[in-house]
Amino acid sequence: MIAELTSFAERLRQNISSGVSVEFNSIALELFELQYRFNIAYRRICDARGLNPTRVEEWSRIPAVPTAAFKELELTCLSSEQRTAEFHSSGTTGQQPSRHFHCAESLSLYEASLWPWFENHLLPERAGGCPPHPRLIALTPPPAAAPHSSLVHMFETIRRQPGVQLEFLGRVDGDGGWGLDLESAIEGLQSAAAKNQPVVLMGTAFNFVHLLDGLTERNLSFSLPSGSRVMETGGYKGRSRELSKPELHHVISERLGILGARIVCEYGMSELSSQAYDGAVGSTHNSELQTRTFQFPSWCRVKIISPETGREVAEGAVGLIHLFDLANVFSVMAVQTEDLGVRRSDGFEMLGRAVATEPRGCSLMAS
Amino acid sequence: MPDCWRRNLTTVNLPNYFLADLPPAATLSASMITEACQSLKRNRQQYLATRTTYNIVQVITVLAGEWLREDSPFRRMALKHGPTQLGFSRETLTRGLDAFFRELTAQRIEALVVAELGHRQRLDAFSSSDHEGQQMRAAIVTGPELMVHVAAGNLPNPALTSMVLGLLARSAQFMKCATGTSLLPRLFAHSLREIEPKMASCLELAEWRGGTAQLEEALFAESDCVTATGSDETLASIRQKVPAGARFLGYGHRVSFAFVSSQVLSGFYLDRVISRAASDVTAWNQLGCLSPHVIYVEHGGDADAKYFAALLADELKAREHTEPRGAVPEAVSVGITSRRGIYDIRAAHSPETQLWHSEGSTAWTVVYEADARFQLSCLNRFVYVKPVRNLEEALQSADSVRNKTSTVGVAVPEHTLGEVGAALARWGATRVCPLGKMQEPPLSWRHDGRPALADLLRWTDLEFSG
Repeated sequence: MIAELTSFAERLRQNISSGVSVEFNSIALELFELQYRFNIAYRRICDARGLNPTRVEEWSRIPAVPTAAFKELELTCLSSEQRTAEFHSSGTTGQQPSRHFHCAESLSLYEASLWPWFENHLLPERAGGCPPHPRLIALTPPPAAAPHSSLVHMFETIRRQPGVQLEFLGRVDGDGGWGLDLESAIEGLQSAAAKNQPVVLMGTAFNFVHLLDGLTERNLSFSLPSGSRVMETGGYKGRSRELSKPELHHVISERLGILGARIVCEYGMSELSSQAYDGAVGSTHNSELQTRTFQFPSWCRVKIISPETGREVAEGAVGLIHLFDLANVFSVMAVQTEDLGVRRSDGFEMLGRAVATEPRGCSLMAS
Repeated sequence: MPDCWRRNLTTVNLPNYFLADLPPAATLSASMITEACQSLKRNRQQYLATRTTYNIVQVITVLAGEWLREDSPFRRMALKHGPTQLGFSRETLTRGLDAFFRELTAQRIEALVVAELGHRQRLDAFSSSDHEGQQMRAAIVTGPELMVHVAAGNLPNPALTSMVLGLLARSAQFMKCATGTSLLPRLFAHSLREIEPKMASCLELAEWRGGTAQLEEALFAESDCVTATGSDETLASIRQKVPAGARFLGYGHRVSFAFVSSQVLSGFYLDRVISRAASDVTAWNQLGCLSPHVIYVEHGGDADAKYFAALLADELKAREHTEPRGAVPEAVSVGITSRRGIYDIRAAHSPETQLWHSEGSTAWTVVYEADARFQLSCLNRFVYVKPVRNLEEALQSADSVRNKTSTVGVAVPEHTLGEVGAALARWGATRVCPLGKMQEPPLSWRHDGRPALADLLRWTDLEFSG
């Protein structure tokens, strides 16, 4: 194992776990220097752009790689023997997924990075020292069935935290897509309601559509105990009918009795090791009347870049989301996503996946 | 110049004459469409049906002459509002409009009539070509009473061509434009109204979102010929709505590419070839079916494909100063940026890919790829340059678009043009033209390999008793 990276990862892990804020710029530059040295594929990209650690003095100038590069290249500092896990993007069937390679040290950092920020937003009472005992239900398949999902690994990490009760109610269908064990989910919701035990429901948007459509078919709705909440993430990937976010949240409120202020959206991806949330459960910022902005933890920075000029956009303007995630120690910290966001002073507003214009000739535009 | 053109030369406010002139908030109803169609048919009967071809051609050529004048109020309005409404820079619009209107000469229109109909007076009276005369027969052609055009709207020329052909066919015409794209068809119609209001009263234009069932049903019910440009799905959906007795002419999605022979890749020729390639990439910002996605460069010349790509990049950079691309919607920027990202990564890892592009904008992009397989471009001045051993390899590489190809722009020595053309015809291309002219089809161009004017008409044969 590369000692310098391992030691960097360990230092960062300790800082995150102990809540010590990091001096972002110097640490980012230090990591860039390491990744330039040990990630050959990344070094080639930097060299082609004429950028290297001696020429970059500010974190925001660190060369970002498009997420698509994770599909074509092995963007990692790890040799094949050192890789113990890999997370894949959940693209449309038939597409080559992004691959993000991990080792024990990088997973340990991923886990250390995800937990406090999750706890802050989904279990704020607990983070404040007053632990509730909600029942956590992941609508995704369990880790054994989805070993390449970073989201499932995240839920598994949460499950392993002391005092957390979490069950997985999803499954992998014959075509490799994710389905839901609806009967168990209904049972779980009924029993929570009966025991007046708050529930934290977690899953992708399409997981929720599967659940909500199932409830609608059975003409069932719940008024889940107060303190219940939802964490919803990701897109639809063609796995269910698609609802706009307000529609989805409306149906969640209608069928589960969980209001918008208790629905938290998460933004994460297999290429990263940190996540953003659009507010903490029940916080005043989480009102439906306000535009909800996403925030990453202090070890991850965001830039919103104009797709036209390549420059950072002004406050309130739209651009592609670029991320600088210090917890991506063994891969690449600077990632250019395909998601559009609006720059806001306290974070960013998500507009969703930029629909890259399909190639077209004249006649495709007749509508 | 007719006197009417002298009026209001400085400020022309378009009156509410066509449905497309109504404010965007105005709601169209099915009954408005039906009434409009019926009044178009009445006007046609009164003002157009019996007009001579000579007279119609005269009106069209005067109209074209006016559009080519720099002080033409309609041209000025097109150049003033086009950049914001249509997204083309003033210079790109100027080049495109000039190329279009220069085609509209009496000689060329007559050539079209003769080429497709066999006799210059075929539209006016029973007439016979020499062969027909020998066989004791004559024929006349008649246009549909009401022709409906469903226009795509990414670039204006096809819609304007449809209107010109419709006038020649003496048909009343209703043009349905895609939302936000009616500016030039409208200006064209208003300019006709200035010069010959009676003919313009046989034209109607409206904008609505494609697939608006109630309006389209009313429209198609009145028509006896529908032309449409669109994706295969759009065409299939329109075809279903066209009444059984009406003719349907659908122009589907087509792509184009270019082939450059090694024999023109030297010295004096090289600069000219590069300049022509750049003209094809910049014309109408590459948004038409006739614009090249890929330029195939044959091995063996003084310049190889990679050098060609580098020179083309230089030329596109220079063109950006003289004929800027203009602003594009965010989704287009994202598409170009995402693709550049992929090729940037590939280029860093392999000499088989190289990328050149504008700095600080998405204005132009050239991608060299050693892999010769045809690649759809995201357009807006984004072009692939690929090396091939010969024309045969280019055609093999483009096999995926074999039945979807419109134009192949060629830069080859004159003496090989016949052979190259024959190979492309066998392969299935419907138009072979010189590089640099891909987006400037002549009026007589056979769209998708079909006759432009003749397809719209009905023949009546008259046989004389011996």
